[in-house]
Amino acid sequence: MGRHVRYGVPEVIITIILILLSLTILLPMLLPWMFVFKTQLEYAYDPWAWPKQFLWSNFQDAWEAIQIGQGLLNTLIVSLGAILVTVPSSALAGYVFAKYRSKTTEILFYAILIGYFIPIQMGLIPLYKLNIKLGLSNTLIGLILPMSAFLIPFWTLIYRSFFAALPNELSDAARIDGAGHWATLSRIMLPLANPATVLALLLVFISAWSDYFLSLIMLNDQKLFTMQLRVSQFLNAYGTDRMPRYAAAVIISMAPTIIMYLFGHRWILQGTLAGAIKE
Amino acid sequence: MQAGELSAMSRQIRKKAERDRRRFIFFCILPAFLFLAVFMYYPIAETFRLSFMKSSGLGADRFIGWENYKKLFASEEFQQGLLHVFLWAFWSIIIQLPLAFFIAFSLTFYINRFTRPMRAIFYLANVLPSAITAMLGKFVFSPTNGILNSIGANAGWKWLEDIDFLGDVHIAFWSVFAVATWAYTGFPIIFLMSKIEQMPKDMKEAAEIDGVTGWKYAWYIVLPNLKGAFRILAVLCTIGSLKLFDLPYMMTTGGPGYATITLGISLYRQGFINWQYGRASAIGVVILILSLVFTVLEFAGHGGDEGGK
Repeated sequence: MGRHVRYGVPEVIITIILILLSLTILLPMLLPWMFVFKTQLEYAYDPWAWPKQFLWSNFQDAWEAIQIGQGLLNTLIVSLGAILVTVPSSALAGYVFAKYRSKTTEILFYAILIGYFIPIQMGLIPLYKLNIKLGLSNTLIGLILPMSAFLIPFWTLIYRSFFAALPNELSDAARIDGAGHWATLSRIMLPLANPATVLALLLVFISAWSDYFLSLIMLNDQKLFTMQLRVSQFLNAYGTDRMPRYAAAVIISMAPTIIMYLFGHRWILQGTLAGAIKE
Repeated sequence: MQAGELSAMSRQIRKKAERDRRRFIFFCILPAFLFLAVFMYYPIAETFRLSFMKSSGLGADRFIGWENYKKLFASEEFQQGLLHVFLWAFWSIIIQLPLAFFIAFSLTFYINRFTRPMRAIFYLANVLPSAITAMLGKFVFSPTNGILNSIGANAGWKWLEDIDFLGDVHIAFWSVFAVATWAYTGFPIIFLMSKIEQMPKDMKEAAEIDGVTGWKYAWYIVLPNLKGAFRILAVLCTIGSLKLFDLPYMMTTGGPGYATITLGISLYRQGFINWQYGRASAIGVVILILSLVFTVLEFAGHGGDEGGK
């Protein structure tokens, strides 16, 4: 950055193409605002006319049709639960795999790493039956545990490469000063791994937040439905037959992700790439 | 005597240190391992077992050998699912990757005031949960009130008004695919961008001095250097298609007929609608084996292109 080279006409043309392409990304997200302030009648009469007034009742209708309040709460519980299970266990394992390398730990590391390549589809039926056996069927915990198990390999990998990049001198010095293994980890190494932890918190949250397939299998009780299940249920039950309300539903259910992205897109991009590039 | 005691003591201390160390390692790995053992290794082993069983959740399971697999490969649903997985992977590679390269190269080559916001915008759709993406997909393609049909009606373009984007057997697949392209091209874009930015800075300058500029530079210098990256992306596309479920399920539930069915949807139908655990498990095994094959291909390609790094 900083050095602005000018390439004249090609740059202008390419930039215009790129702007058009990024409008294609944005347009479906922006268009609902065209319809959301109209009554169904106004919409049926002329969908593309500019809205004449600001009618907010569609938002309320959509909120009630999706029953979004309970859904949001459930999703929040699932996301926090997934963080609570995934991040500490990945950090601990990743630390040992990075700093206490031996033949045994390497073998165990690869055993965990294999999990990164295993699609969750592979375990759905036994997981479903297992939850029934454990009495976890149709509970949020019964969703959180398998979800986390499938997130742990990836984050163990990330923590491992992060810890491996930290110099050994620090932990050695602490050890010489008499700090035990746990103290060295909790007082010296974990704080140094904060950047990795920020990424883990954010991206595990997003993965859990976005989940659809596993939630669909594990949750039957409407009261436990997550946001994404609510949205898909809304799609099935109402579809697009009342467009202004549908538009409001789109705007509402998109909002949390958009807000998260506005504030965190730098970390989100960084974390996504960290996963893709390391090893 | 004293020396012996001392060495015995130091041996003990060393032993204790070793024990502490082992205990530490054990307790650090334990949680991760426990979760994986219960919620991943066991289910996978069980899936293999079930795939050779007649199992419906009611009554005892019965061993039937390869029967499930034979039935699967003979069923139209599974054949179509497999076909769509490969079609989906093929078209993702053919359409999404070149598009991603065009955008990634342009965004790293021409730097101006639009570059930075556009980088963020191009990845935005990738972050949306699939349920929201499906919702937007229906917003655009739905037969009642969908944006495209509505534009057609408004402009008096009968041909556009009459296209049944999600209900026509020949079009539904492409509508879902278009939505996926809209949503998921963001990842290859930022991935390629980061790879391009990792290339040595003087490469561009050297090329410019040699008169290799603009798209010639992209074609002859940048592209060959991205071979490894493209191979990884191609594998990710393939594995993504093997797992594909959310978008086609929510937009068309695999229909009309089998027009948009995938292996994921087929597994769901067999397992949780027909309660054929055995047959659904067999589909799971097929998905796993195919993704492992493609993962191994990735590692093979990886090692070859970048010296094992």
